[in-house]
Amino acid sequence: MSGVRVILSRCAALFRRRKLDLELDDELRAHLEMAAEEHRRRGLSPADARLAALREFGGVTQVRETVRLREGWPLVENLRRDAGYAFRQMQKNPGFTTVIVLTLALGIGATTAIFTLVYSTLLRSLPYPHADRILALHDTRLHGASTGGLMGVQRFFDLQARNRTFESIGFFFFDQSTLVDANHLPVAVEAAGSDAALWDVLRVRPLLGRTYTAADDQPNAPETAVLSYAGWQKIFGGDPGVIRRQIALDRRPVTIIGVMPPGVAVPEGIDLWHDAQFQAIDWTRRDTGEGTRFINVFGRLRPGVTPAMAQADLHRIGQQLRQEHPDSDGMWQFSSETLRENRYGAMRPALIVLLLASGLLLLIACINVANLLLSRATARQREVALRRALGASAGRIVTQFFTESLLLALLGGGLGVLAAWGLIHGVIAHLPGRLGLPGTVEMHWPVVAFAFAVATLTGIAFGIAPAREGRRVELHTTLKQGEARIGGSGHSLRNALVAIQVGLSLMLIVGASLLAESLWHLLKNPLGFRPDHLLTFSVALPWDTKEPQLRNFFDTLQQRLETMPGVTAVGQMDALPTVDWHLRSNFDADWLPRIANQPAINAEDRNIGGNFLGAMGVPLLAGRTFTDADSRLKQIPILVNEALVRAYLPGGNPLGRHLIVGGTPHEIVGVLEDIRGTAGAIAAPPGPEVYWPADGDEGVTHRSFMVRSRMAPDALVPMVRDTVHGVDPSLAIGNVATMDSLLNKAVAQPRLNMAVVAAFALIALVLACVGVYGVVAFFVAQRTQEIGVRMALGASRQEIGLLFVRRALTTAALGLAGGTAATLALTRLIASQLYGVQADDPLVYAASVLALLVPVVLATLQPAWRAASVNPVEALRSE
Amino acid sequence: MGEERSDVLQGTLDLMVLKTLEAMGPLHGYGIARRIEQISEQTLHLNQGTIYPALLRLRQRGWIRAEWGTSENGRRARYYELTRAGKAQIEKETESWERVAATMARFLRPASSQ
Repeated sequence: MSGVRVILSRCAALFRRRKLDLELDDELRAHLEMAAEEHRRRGLSPADARLAALREFGGVTQVRETVRLREGWPLVENLRRDAGYAFRQMQKNPGFTTVIVLTLALGIGATTAIFTLVYSTLLRSLPYPHADRILALHDTRLHGASTGGLMGVQRFFDLQARNRTFESIGFFFFDQSTLVDANHLPVAVEAAGSDAALWDVLRVRPLLGRTYTAADDQPNAPETAVLSYAGWQKIFGGDPGVIRRQIALDRRPVTIIGVMPPGVAVPEGIDLWHDAQFQAIDWTRRDTGEGTRFINVFGRLRPGVTPAMAQADLHRIGQQLRQEHPDSDGMWQFSSETLRENRYGAMRPALIVLLLASGLLLLIACINVANLLLSRATARQREVALRRALGASAGRIVTQFFTESLLLALLGGGLGVLAAWGLIHGVIAHLPGRLGLPGTVEMHWPVVAFAFAVATLTGIAFGIAPAREGRRVELHTTLKQGEARIGGSGHSLRNALVAIQVGLSLMLIVGASLLAESLWHLLKNPLGFRPDHLLTFSVALPWDTKEPQLRNFFDTLQQRLETMPGVTAVGQMDALPTVDWHLRSNFDADWLPRIANQPAINAEDRNIGGNFLGAMGVPLLAGRTFTDADSRLKQIPILVNEALVRAYLPGGNPLGRHLIVGGTPHEIVGVLEDIRGTAGAIAAPPGPEVYWPADGDEGVTHRSFMVRSRMAPDALVPMVRDTVHGVDPSLAIGNVATMDSLLNKAVAQPRLNMAVVAAFALIALVLACVGVYGVVAFFVAQRTQEIGVRMALGASRQEIGLLFVRRALTTAALGLAGGTAATLALTRLIASQLYGVQADDPLVYAASVLALLVPVVLATLQPAWRAASVNPVEALRSE
Repeated sequence: MGEERSDVLQGTLDLMVLKTLEAMGPLHGYGIARRIEQISEQTLHLNQGTIYPALLRLRQRGWIRAEWGTSENGRRARYYELTRAGKAQIEKETESWERVAATMARFLRPASSQ
């Protein structure tokens, strides 16, 4: 109890120091006067009385010191004093302080910005209760290409029935729908069809209303939908009266029953979920083929179950299904990953590369600051020696230096955090993919705390060097001389620091060059089609639209679009290149041996229509394209791409041969050039593909249109909207984008990586040059006398200049050697981000070394020139 | 050696100051020091200045409080007086001292007598 009182009283004393000091002085003076008076009364003279009183008292200064120490908190008071002193020092050298604070702001700001990305995706908890218990479940082929983890509905129901480790398993699939709200125009919406179990998996409480339950999920129950927050704002303007409103979704009446809070992203980017009302009995396995996989499955683990146990159970069920249905399920198994992996796993390697790069930049900035402070520490040696002589302990001197460093670091850190915040908010909308979604990347408190911690650590790190210098000062030599002239102290340290700087800069430059070359390779790869002047949009008819309405609609739309002014060709496709859409089939070939349960060819399916080749600019390598009549034939012909021919009929002619699926042979009538980016990534080489006519018995209801025009594609958009509206007023167009912008999005991640690392590399280069310049200039200034001596002994000006340049280059060369070795050792980390270039490409290294060496040499020239122009007489005479 | 002595001294000095204030009522630092010298009949050779750290300690613990006032000869001086907590502390420490003294007395008595 009394301990607390003491602490409180000491804290209070911190703020009343002056008053307390005066009071103590008064009290002690009163004491001495009273004592002296007593002695005078006893007969001593005034002078003797005073002496007697002092003697009786003991040491006045000692008592004062003891009381002062106990009254306040020496630690805090010393810190306050040191901080005040540090501030005054900073104000006296504004230029010096500004350079240091800016350099630190750069380093800390860069690290904070990248850490914001890392935290927002890899570390922050996801907005679902116990999100680490949610797993994404994938259907994967035992060998060969899977369909992006999508599962077949029959297998989902089997999984739901047989699993022992999940308390709920649900699914969703992507859908494009047209929504009509009472008296408004139709709107194309991104929708997700799901079952009621998905809400049990997520367990998110709706913002408004409710989610659909198992009762709503029955086939004859009224259809219901839940809006996403973004969809609610975009389509209904955030109107709370939207609950229980009935709308038309794909011409069917659907009631909106709830709204989700922001951040619910299973999946992200959609406007609403509607219940799919799937029933197990409707989804039996067909006799032939592996079935269509189109749902994303998620499950919530039972309490006490680990992901490993769930995986083992999934293996068990996969094994069972493989045995029970060898035709359709024989090649498939289940796998799982955490929700975070599923969402952000793909970008983790890239983010780690960026984080490391920012760390390197921070190190380089710290080294610059350390060197600057070292220079100033040398200049302050007299002051330090004086303080030591007056009684300051070495500990106090060190504390003083560290306080200064910490203050500078915190200032730089604060500025850096502000800069990072501005950068994040300015650039956030242009970040690729998931990062750019609103609400994903934000500077939360842990990030600020991280920045603060980094600032403190850097303050301590670069404070060590000058503090060490402060300790090593020799009192009598320093006080006697005007300034320290001996070149011994600190030189090797500075040289080492500069060498490290150069090495680190080399790492960043090599990294940036490798990423830039990767990006260039990615961009210059032949796409197989011409993306310029191409406008794309999607139109979605209801799923159950049948012939001939389907054919009529799309034919009419095709004709009307073709007649628009400026349009040269119009094509149709079920999924454009760069879209993450998977649809694969197994085929047998009439030229390959037929083995039961082992189809010869597995290829991606695409449906095309209209003037696909003309619009996309895809070369036809052999045969012909589809005609109108083809889709009405009993045995629909198909087209294949070059990759399929190369893989399965090298050097042969596929025209007239047949691929067999579902027992029906289909004649190959044409061969197309390979199209890149079919199932999403344009980095992957094209695989075998089979093209079908989009019309036909099971015609495609959701199609993307490609409109090639002579003018800028954006100008066409209003006309296109009107045209579609003219054909069917109940429909709306969606996903309006030029092909160029879609490609842009596809390379956005590698482009971001490269841009960030290149920016870091450039800053690092500038900092390294500044560092080299600073150190060489310092050496020249330190060794003016030595230069004078050398000149007196006969050295020419060139020799002096070269001396300094040579020494600087030796240091730089050491740094380059170390940097090269370090970069080679770390190539594994960046390899995942490279495309078409080896991480140890010697050409890149050579070019980077040159790119670094030239500015560094230039940086040494000015101080070397100054060294060469020293007047020897003055130099020898200088003190 | 010096450390031990000062610890014991601290504790005893605190109690002496408290008892002085209990007996004499509010008193300034010089008065307390003189009184302690008198009571101990000059056996304690204390530097008068050491009383001030003790007074600070007692004040921080809330056993005494301080107020500025005027001394007998019209001089401004700081007067200290006992608080209620201080009175309770006196009782506690007196008890503890008497216990220690009794225990020590038993040990220091000649072994033969009971």
